[in-house]
Amino acid sequence: MIHLKNINLRLPRFSLDDINLRINKRDFFALIGPTGSGKSLLLEGIMGLIGFSSGSLFIENRDYTRLAVERRNLAIVYQDFALFPHLNVTQNIFYGVRYHKIPKPVAQKRFDFLVSSLGLEKITQRSPQNLSGGEKQRVALARSLIFNPSVLLLDEPLSALDPMFHEEAKLLLKKIHDELETTIIMVSHNFSDVLYLANRGAIIRNGQILQQDDIITIFERPNSKFTASFVGMKNIHPIQVHDKTLIVPDKKTKISCAHTPGDTDQYMGIRPEDISFIDINSNHYGNQYSGRITKISSNGVFLNISLDTGDHCFEAIWSRRRIQDHGLEVGKTLEFGFLPESVHTF
Amino acid sequence: MKRIEPLNWLFMFISLPLILLLTLPLIKMTFQPSVEMLKETICDKDVVAAIARSISLSFLAGILSFAMGTPLAYLLARKRIIGKRIIEGIIDLPIMIPHPVVGIAILSLAGRNHPIGRFLSDMGIQIMGTKTGIVSVLLFVGLPFYVNTVKAGFESVPVRLENASRTLGAGALSTFVRITFPLTWRHMILGIIMCTARAISEFGAVVIVAYHPMTAPVMIYERFTAYGLKYSQPIAVWLILISFVLFVVLRMMSKSIKH
Repeated sequence: MIHLKNINLRLPRFSLDDINLRINKRDFFALIGPTGSGKSLLLEGIMGLIGFSSGSLFIENRDYTRLAVERRNLAIVYQDFALFPHLNVTQNIFYGVRYHKIPKPVAQKRFDFLVSSLGLEKITQRSPQNLSGGEKQRVALARSLIFNPSVLLLDEPLSALDPMFHEEAKLLLKKIHDELETTIIMVSHNFSDVLYLANRGAIIRNGQILQQDDIITIFERPNSKFTASFVGMKNIHPIQVHDKTLIVPDKKTKISCAHTPGDTDQYMGIRPEDISFIDINSNHYGNQYSGRITKISSNGVFLNISLDTGDHCFEAIWSRRRIQDHGLEVGKTLEFGFLPESVHTF
Repeated sequence: MKRIEPLNWLFMFISLPLILLLTLPLIKMTFQPSVEMLKETICDKDVVAAIARSISLSFLAGILSFAMGTPLAYLLARKRIIGKRIIEGIIDLPIMIPHPVVGIAILSLAGRNHPIGRFLSDMGIQIMGTKTGIVSVLLFVGLPFYVNTVKAGFESVPVRLENASRTLGAGALSTFVRITFPLTWRHMILGIIMCTARAISEFGAVVIVAYHPMTAPVMIYERFTAYGLKYSQPIAVWLILISFVLFVVLRMMSKSIKH
């Protein structure tokens, strides 16, 4: 449905290079990348706020490349929501109606539906300055959805919200996508949000697309060291492959892998949460080692544990409770392991 | 009671002479003429006409700066223009150069020896000794105050709001009318007030372009040179009082109008 073909955008200090993306109708598509990777720039290019230097943009087989922003029937919700401060909530929501030639009764019906489903009934006469972050976001969504855009673009929709509203907003976005079946393109640098919301996505770095696929595939089979690291993988090392056994050069550690790595695979990675502490004799993990705890550092609710086997160092994430229950501390030696299925190669 | 920081006391101590420098001469001058003298002056038709002319032509210059300076302020605030800094420097020029020079420059352009002067003359527009000439000069000296004030206003509106409006379907003009203007009109009112205020006080450029019809500052100068301080002061007092009341009312109006 949305096809970006050989898109290039040259700015004095940054460029988007040869972007090719395909986004299907009703997709919740995530553009994922670190700050400064060009994801918001690409979003503004799709919106028409910045002209591409070359390439083409097709939406439902119609060429949008040179179409004026106001004629695209796309809507964007910004990170800071960009509500008009001199208009109240109702006026903000109705703002775009007149430009889309929506009959007044139809607009009123959509307004009532959105106000009710987004829980805005009590704040329709309020000024945007007097709204919480969550309320502002819901008003911005209603303002965009009232004219039924063909695509809804979300620029870091969750990053400006307090943790209190974060989960609530995630559920709301999911609900909007599921109930209205709107095609959504979301920009985010938080992979856990993306994993919950999106079905497809692309990893962008320095203005280039590194990988585009189903979100689960990106999560489980990242195609580069950067993507692996970005989706939360640790223990990333170069490998030598011998059938289903991987050898980490210099370290001499042998690691069993559930699949036969591809010819081009040069690295392996293991998620830290897939490395388990073994408190009883068990060999069902396939990869089992004895190691000494060299470092324990806080990661919020969980703790990062560095484990040294003598040949190799692993990083694991365990709960505080588990650490306390087993009296684990720096210098202590323990058994740990992980399944061959937890070993990813790329 | 809130404690005042010692640094603030120091700053207040340093500021006091400045406030006195600004207010003492004006207060002294305001209370110098007798009530009889003030009454007599305001009954003088020439004085009333000169003050009215000063205020009305200055206000016209303020309105013209609104009409012509708003697009320029918008371009300077929003667009990347080649030579933007040079254009900004040119706009600030009238603040820097001696005002008689402004008058001479305008006259040299409007004279019969210059193609523009000949064109204006052929169109029946006279600059020398006319209200048109006075307004041209007042616009020249007042425009920087309008453009700089309104440019700051446009800069205070996030571009993102205008972008959001465009993405909701509004064109560029509609976005300006519905978003940019409502968020900057106070700056425009302030710009008009600043431009008008500057124009009312203008003497150096006006006296060269149009000694007659006489504006209030020119009349004050004429009375001073012909009759002395005693006869020029009451006109100055009336000009200050009327201008002061006018600007206070304008500021109150601009604050009281709700969105």
